Amino acid sequence: MTTPIQPTVHTQRDDHLIAGFTALAITIHIAESALPSLLPGIKPGLANVVTLLVLCRYGWVMAAWVALLRVLVGSILIGTFLSPTFFLSAAGALASVLVLGLLAAVSRAGSPWAVGPLGLGLAAALAHMSGQFWLAYVLFVPHSGLLTLYPVLMSLAAVLGLASGLLTHTVLARLNSSPSKA
Amino acid sequence: MIVAVLRILLLFSLVFLSACERKPAAYHEQLLVFGTVVEVSLFGVSEQQGRQAVARLNEDFEYMHRTWHAWHPGPLGRVNQLLASGESFSAPPSILPLIQRGAELSRRSGGLFNPAVGKLIALWGFASDDPPTGPPPQPAAIHAILDQHPSMDDVVVDGIRLQCRNPAVKLDFGAFAKGYAVDRAIERLQEMGIKDAVVNAGGDLRAIGRHGDRPWRVGIRHPRQPGILAAVEVEGDESVFTSGDYERYFDWQGVRYSHIIDPRSGYPASGLSSVTVFSRQADLADAAATALFVAGPQEKDWLPVARAMGVAGVLLVDQAGTVHMTPGLTERIHFETEPLPKVIYSEAL
Amino acid sequence: MTRPLFSRGDGLLLLAALTLVITLYAALWHNEGHGAEAVVLVNGQRWARLNLFHDQELEVPGPLGHSHIRVHDGRVRFVDSPCPNKLCVHTGWLSQGGEVAVCLPNRVSVKILAQDPRFDTINF
Repeated sequence: MTTPIQPTVHTQRDDHLIAGFTALAITIHIAESALPSLLPGIKPGLANVVTLLVLCRYGWVMAAWVALLRVLVGSILIGTFLSPTFFLSAAGALASVLVLGLLAAVSRAGSPWAVGPLGLGLAAALAHMSGQFWLAYVLFVPHSGLLTLYPVLMSLAAVLGLASGLLTHTVLARLNSSPSKA
Repeated sequence: MIVAVLRILLLFSLVFLSACERKPAAYHEQLLVFGTVVEVSLFGVSEQQGRQAVARLNEDFEYMHRTWHAWHPGPLGRVNQLLASGESFSAPPSILPLIQRGAELSRRSGGLFNPAVGKLIALWGFASDDPPTGPPPQPAAIHAILDQHPSMDDVVVDGIRLQCRNPAVKLDFGAFAKGYAVDRAIERLQEMGIKDAVVNAGGDLRAIGRHGDRPWRVGIRHPRQPGILAAVEVEGDESVFTSGDYERYFDWQGVRYSHIIDPRSGYPASGLSSVTVFSRQADLADAAATALFVAGPQEKDWLPVARAMGVAGVLLVDQAGTVHMTPGLTERIHFETEPLPKVIYSEAL
Repeated sequence: MTRPLFSRGDGLLLLAALTLVITLYAALWHNEGHGAEAVVLVNGQRWARLNLFHDQELEVPGPLGHSHIRVHDGRVRFVDSPCPNKLCVHTGWLSQGGEVAVCLPNRVSVKILAQDPRFDTINF
């Protein structure tokens, strides 16, 4: 799925790609945060689609950059840098990036157990939600009542994760069927 | 493709949202009235209906509290003054039914429930807003009242006129006024077309109907420790009334003196921690709980009284924590304490 | 590079996710009988709604003064009250849906709410 890339060597094109995709992700993220959320902590997570796209086409390292930069720069732009919201987002992003890395390693092209965008979206969303939840539980609201919320949040994350995976697959199919620009 | 995705997403959201639908709840309100906390639970009524019904009950309770108060000035106080004078007088319509019902229940209890011993109650300090602190009254003072044998039989009712032959008589309906008031409240609710309700006045309750698709769940509090002693389900029309030595009392030199006075000895009854009575009418259940508390833990003493009063079930807890129960309650009572209490079954009612 | 939408890996992951979520519900949702919220009433009117999983201390004003109420570890109780009898304090900790403690002289009461209460009403 990826061509091995040394972390210290980036071609100019890759820098531009990361910047471009991060910008796209941040834009979507900011637009999303303007919308009211159905339940606290639940966002459709459309920006995650960008992360998944980058993962499937350019590899895990690039996707990791995009995901983490999005949280960092996004929080600076929105004004939540180093706030509890920032730490929650960072925890979620970190968790999902790690899980995606694991799955990417397992899904080398040709492996019969390769995971596609659907599975990746699902896993990433569950990991993201878990990362956020446990940080919140340990650091901010360590009361057992919060635990009854966890299964509900995870159910929603699963659904939204599958949806984002589906969206990713669709976009990929479109990109592959026409001469791609990026 | 995007449209299909959005459709699936919408479907999922709807599934989740529908799962959050709450079960219909009972209408519940708490009133601080009648000198206690009165909790009213109504099922199958709209918010507005509930509010109106409870407002009506609040008025009723306030009226009854003023009218029957044993020591604040009011109609009962005036009746007591007139009774003490020995003259014949017209009974206020708000008091007469109470006197007649009280007399009937007193007779059925063999005098163990005796609303005419108001002077004894006052002597022990339980006829006051402030809790009594002791010391217990002198035996001479107690006997001064006791030897005159105040009883409901001394109050002669002739049509609407009352006359009393015994100056030691003072009416204090505290031992069954709550039950009587709860009966009136339930009647009021039934008049309003409400069929499923619980009226709980200071822990004593009467329940009619059910809680929707299941019976009303009643928890009986443990007389000695925090938490619930037993759970029982109530439906149809039933009252659950408990008299206990933990309600009003004072401790003096290591002895607890509770507010339930034994009219035969002039001293507070002491063999039991609590008595819980199951019966349809609340005033009967209230009077019976008092009478059985006075009767004490010996089955030969309390069982005949329970039978004479016609109650449906009795549960007593003695000072050792042992539960005495009529067999009819076996299926219905589920004890909640760990470990389970020792239970002695009496003969059937 | 167009691969099928749903691969074996995806299937396995979906199964794992489903199992995880179901296990979470089973493990964390068994406390339905216990109250999670309590309500403080003054003169029969709602004065505050308390989350029992949020430890807190409250001073509730009544005609006699302030009743001191404490929430700790999913339970609630009167700690002190300006009444002569302190029956409210003697009631101790409340934890089950339907349980009530009341300071009548100060017109303050606390009751545990629960979605499906084990008891509709308490007899005492």
